[in-house]
Amino acid sequence: MRVWQPLSDKIMHRLIEFIKRIYIVMLFVLIEGAALWYYATATPYNESKILARTTAVGGAVSSTVNDVRNFMSLPEENSKLTKRVAYLEEELERRDIALAELMPGDVDAPIIDSIDSKFCYHPVRVVSMTTNRNRNYIVVDRGTEAGIRENMGVITPNKELVGKVVSCSENYAVVMPLLNTLFKIGGRLVANGYVCSVYWEATSRYRVTGVELSLYAKPEQGMVINAESEQLPTDVVIGTIESTTINASQTAYSVDVELAADMQCLSNLLIVENRDQSELETLLNSVEK
Amino acid sequence: MLKNLSYLWMSLAILVVQIFLLDELSIAMWLRPMIFPLIVILLQMEWRTIWVLLISTLVGLAMDLALGGAGLYTATIVPLAMLRRWMLFLTTRRSIEQGDQTSLLSRLSHGQLMGYTATMLAIHHTLFFLLESMSFAHPLHLVATIVFSTLLSAAIAWPIIRIFTLKIVVK
Repeated sequence: MRVWQPLSDKIMHRLIEFIKRIYIVMLFVLIEGAALWYYATATPYNESKILARTTAVGGAVSSTVNDVRNFMSLPEENSKLTKRVAYLEEELERRDIALAELMPGDVDAPIIDSIDSKFCYHPVRVVSMTTNRNRNYIVVDRGTEAGIRENMGVITPNKELVGKVVSCSENYAVVMPLLNTLFKIGGRLVANGYVCSVYWEATSRYRVTGVELSLYAKPEQGMVINAESEQLPTDVVIGTIESTTINASQTAYSVDVELAADMQCLSNLLIVENRDQSELETLLNSVEK
Repeated sequence: MLKNLSYLWMSLAILVVQIFLLDELSIAMWLRPMIFPLIVILLQMEWRTIWVLLISTLVGLAMDLALGGAGLYTATIVPLAMLRRWMLFLTTRRSIEQGDQTSLLSRLSHGQLMGYTATMLAIHHTLFFLLESMSFAHPLHLVATIVFSTLLSAAIAWPIIRIFTLKIVVK
């Protein structure tokens, strides 16, 4: 005890000396920080200016951090991709066999001309994303230079719907995910083919709402809803029905849909390009005129 | 005591001139003279930094309250309190030494005092206009505002410094 007493006194003495030496700097930092903080938050203009600056800096930092994180998770991603490749190979083989049984003389031709051959997939990585706002967005690391265009669909490697591209720069694209109150898409019940309109009501990050589903659809819990859009293949999953309600006028069902994609854990995505997109757009525009 | 009282009157006069005259002037977008930093710049060098820091905070708060600066005036004047001894040394090669009987500012020539004041005003104006615009979107306009406003502020500061050296420092 006697040995420790002078030691603690010495440490206390040094601590007090240290505080005495830097208290003016500390006070300066405190006053300056408070003034800057008040200035930054005093008006929406200042707030937006600062937000723009910090977002730019934050974006650069987050991009670097993401790069490092992606690099560190390469083994895991590799393992996932290998599993996926194995699954696809099996699927391909099954289809080849089935087609060979149907058309023995022309095995390869139907695959090239199959319904989904008009789609090609651009692999992208998430640079930054938000999930805690009503209007969330995802930034991915490919842009017009890689052939990405607005309105292209975005899915996970497991063919779960994520959203659509809303804006592109040369090297980046902004995706409006399902978790954005402005996002709307058609949905189709896999079980019976009835369609509905799907959107997010911002009540939960794990579910969306399907409305205007016909009474004849008889939706039940566990039924799968696929995306219904000319920008996406037919087998892209939105999610499964959690609960159903009939609207007040007893004319249609509303359903709560549990999202298939884990929107809080997105890293590698696929942007779907419909090769006939420009043709479709021209056609749709001519109808609207 | 008399010196401090004179200094207080000078500070009040500077604040009044700044708030009711210079801030009301609208000569050009890029010409906005500010002389209120003189209150901090011309404080006795022998004063402890903590007092200078607190006085600069008070001046900044007064300006913010009077002109609705929302912290901008405080944020840009407080660094002057920390920088003034270094800037005085950099511009005049003079510093406080043990055993000095007279005030350091009183031993400076008019030229030295003006050089030190203009440098401090330039630092303040740079911080102020940078923070106010928070953007480099119009760099030429920003630089012009800083340079011309500093020059005009220094020109307005010149008679104040003369009065300061003749009537206050020598007392």
